Amino acid sequence: MDDEKIIGHAANEEYAKWAHRETNPDNIFQKPEALDDIMVLDASHGSFAGLFASSILSEMGAEVIRVEPPGGDLARKMSPYGMMIKDTGLGYMVEGRNKYHVTMDLTKEEGRTLFKRLAQKADVVIETFKPGYMDSLGIGYRQLREINPGLLYCPIHCFGQFGTDARKNANQPDYDITNQARGVIMSITGEPDLDPRVPGEFKRPLKQGNWMGWYTGGGWAAFGILLALFHRRKRGMGQLIDCSPPEGLFSMANYAMMYYHMARKQMPRAGNYDYAVFPYTYVECKDGYTFISGFTDPNWTALCEILERPDLKEMFPTIRERLTPENQPRIQHEIEKFTKQYTTDEVVRIVTAYMNKPDRKGTVATGRMELPAEVLEREHWQARKTFIKVNDPYYGSVLIQNSSFKGMSKTPGRVKWVCRPVGADNEFIYQKFLGVGGPQLEGLQTRGAI
Amino acid sequence: MKEGESYQDFLKGMFDVGQLFDKPEPLKGIRILEVCYVVLGPAACDYLAEFGAEVIKFEGQRGDQMRFVTPYAFFWKNMSPGLEIENHNKYWVGMHMGNPKANEIFLDLVKKSDVVIDNLTPGRMAEWGISYQDLKRINPRIIQLHVSGYGSWGPWTGRASYDAVAQSMGALSPITGYEERGPIKSGVWIADWITGLMCAIAIMSALHHREKTGEGQFIDYLQVENVIRWLDWTWLFTSMEEENRKRAGNRDLAICPSDLFDCSDGWIALAAFSAEEFRGLCEAMEDMELFEKYEDPTSRLEDETAREILKKIGEWTKTKTMGEVEELGSKMGFAATRVLTAEDVYHGEHFRERGTVQTFHDPLYGEMVEEAYPPRLSETPSRIKWSSRPLGFDNEYVFTKLLGMSGEKVKNLQEEGVIFKWNPKIPSHCPPKDWDGKKGMKLG
Repeated sequence: MDDEKIIGHAANEEYAKWAHRETNPDNIFQKPEALDDIMVLDASHGSFAGLFASSILSEMGAEVIRVEPPGGDLARKMSPYGMMIKDTGLGYMVEGRNKYHVTMDLTKEEGRTLFKRLAQKADVVIETFKPGYMDSLGIGYRQLREINPGLLYCPIHCFGQFGTDARKNANQPDYDITNQARGVIMSITGEPDLDPRVPGEFKRPLKQGNWMGWYTGGGWAAFGILLALFHRRKRGMGQLIDCSPPEGLFSMANYAMMYYHMARKQMPRAGNYDYAVFPYTYVECKDGYTFISGFTDPNWTALCEILERPDLKEMFPTIRERLTPENQPRIQHEIEKFTKQYTTDEVVRIVTAYMNKPDRKGTVATGRMELPAEVLEREHWQARKTFIKVNDPYYGSVLIQNSSFKGMSKTPGRVKWVCRPVGADNEFIYQKFLGVGGPQLEGLQTRGAI
Repeated sequence: MKEGESYQDFLKGMFDVGQLFDKPEPLKGIRILEVCYVVLGPAACDYLAEFGAEVIKFEGQRGDQMRFVTPYAFFWKNMSPGLEIENHNKYWVGMHMGNPKANEIFLDLVKKSDVVIDNLTPGRMAEWGISYQDLKRINPRIIQLHVSGYGSWGPWTGRASYDAVAQSMGALSPITGYEERGPIKSGVWIADWITGLMCAIAIMSALHHREKTGEGQFIDYLQVENVIRWLDWTWLFTSMEEENRKRAGNRDLAICPSDLFDCSDGWIALAAFSAEEFRGLCEAMEDMELFEKYEDPTSRLEDETAREILKKIGEWTKTKTMGEVEELGSKMGFAATRVLTAEDVYHGEHFRERGTVQTFHDPLYGEMVEEAYPPRLSETPSRIKWSSRPLGFDNEYVFTKLLGMSGEKVKNLQEEGVIFKWNPKIPSHCPPKDWDGKKGMKLG
């Protein structure tokens, strides 16, 4: 890669070149993996929280064995408009990465025996069934810790494993939408309640467009597992890691609870406004949207100069005026009068030109809103290998997002393969861990245990 | 396994919140130097601090910007709620980073630390003469994580990023919102919080590698790339269809039914994808014809069909209260819950029992009620010890305990402007008005 691409807009060119040498994605496979001594049994079912958790661990080198029922995980069917690549939907194709795929029927005694034998050798078990389901089958934490005291057992479920709501709703499955609903963030995301121009039918809670409930749950689960592994390295103890995705979301819900504690008031849905920092918003342009900010007094002055609107500065002189729900739609409207005359690229150029002026009054930031197809084209993401195109012998050519841990200089995260068909690794894994092969394996198959 | 003990009773014993402080912390003995500001970097450190890491936070003279970010310009006991939320259990040092004397102090601390985290402009630490190479020379075990919007190299390195920029540059906002309306930003600084989480994960992973090999490392983490990583099937879909993923409101395009519906008294989030769950829902709706027609989950995902099914469910939920649908969900085995607000969680018995919402008494601010970071770990749970602090509040403690500096030396450094405390003219730098000059001071 030429230096110009590496340096970009770097303030310190030597630093950029050094950082590139340390974290060059071309060298990933020449480096070791941080978790290559860890074995994970991922029995998650119909939940991308479990799958994302085990993806993270697998990108760091853990050996992850996906346990699916003989018909395959329900998550394989979760795909936009029902689109499938062979036996697998698009969501699963992304999070099947690096994992071995075995089948076993946990409702059968023989299947449970296989699970127990594998769990005895595992460092981590992940599951997403209804709370208490695995326990009722005799393969929950209570039973497994007796045969493997060092085991880290991580169940993930909307209501968690215990507590009033878990008891009441133990028969509910875990879904992204219900995770988001209990995660508080949804209650304060959506079209602005206090903007009179928004039609009433849109004034309701809104989920994040992606599977934010599941991915957040999975992220926290992986974090908890790593903490528990670290503790185990020192103290030798296993433990139960009870992951409830909504708890992961509401501990990221900004000051929603703090504000309630301090003022006994709730935050309304603010849409693209922000009642703690404004302007800090998306504005409409000729060809799409762009972000624009100018919050503190100097930055607001700078923004008003760009807009050539000294009157706005007088109308909303301090942050107090700029933070009210009544004024924000008005300010937004005035900014858009300007930006709607330009394309997003033109707005970026205007702001950049102002920012290069020696007598600028403050900082105004902007960044256009990128549509997915545009993101895929950007040179920066190509240079950083943010996406990889894998030519899989079974699934064909598939483009997925790469590990986001590529920038670890000594133990970078990586993707080795995209996905495996249902039960594709039965022979290898059962042979490797349990010495089960040949007629024994065939027998299990015939009896429907795998 | 105790004979006859129920799963719930077993868990209640394991997670007894009364024993929170009698259990060990997984990150005991890990010292982190935080050269961060705003939300992302401080949040990454906060996650680790609530699990026992000792985090020393360095702030510049003007103070972390979050001292000034608060809803409606509201302050409480001189505290900014925007600062409190990503800063617990930390030690607060006011120091002029980049000053040669400050560098000396910083490097002395690096000798006895495990992790350094910064979210400054990429290369800023190198400009100051405290790059990873400098740190590594004096402590080969040190782990340094740098996080920024676009990372330390590449065509866009050096471009500024904010949470809302990351949401839009990473294409989260354009897929969030209603079909017939514009893109919507998250109600919270979600790209900061989730990127902080992945930074904490990267650090944990680096700590594991260090346990095995004794070797530290440098980590370059990209906020916008992190948002991209979290967008599930967006990229594969776009690359296959050569069209952008559409906004779909609360409807899940990959799971049907999964949406937010109107009840007679509010909204209900509901999902039932497997044949069994869908049967339970259709039984509750007394519409077995619907079940027979669409038993196969994949058959429900076709666009027209999905709209038809969601419409039917919406007509049914309108005749029910939220409580009725929730109860039916639990009885019939489909997912159904109302949308919780901060107030619901604050008062929710469930979250108190689990130790997710914790009450503690802060020497400066009195009784605090806050969410402690998940997941709930049975043997090494997270806990909140104290709140955010005035600027430079722990200078004496940190310099005395870790560097053995005498009171006089600390005083001199203060006079030279190398270290400093809160500016009495800026209320959100300061302790509460009624502070007695002693409470909360360590070694005070």
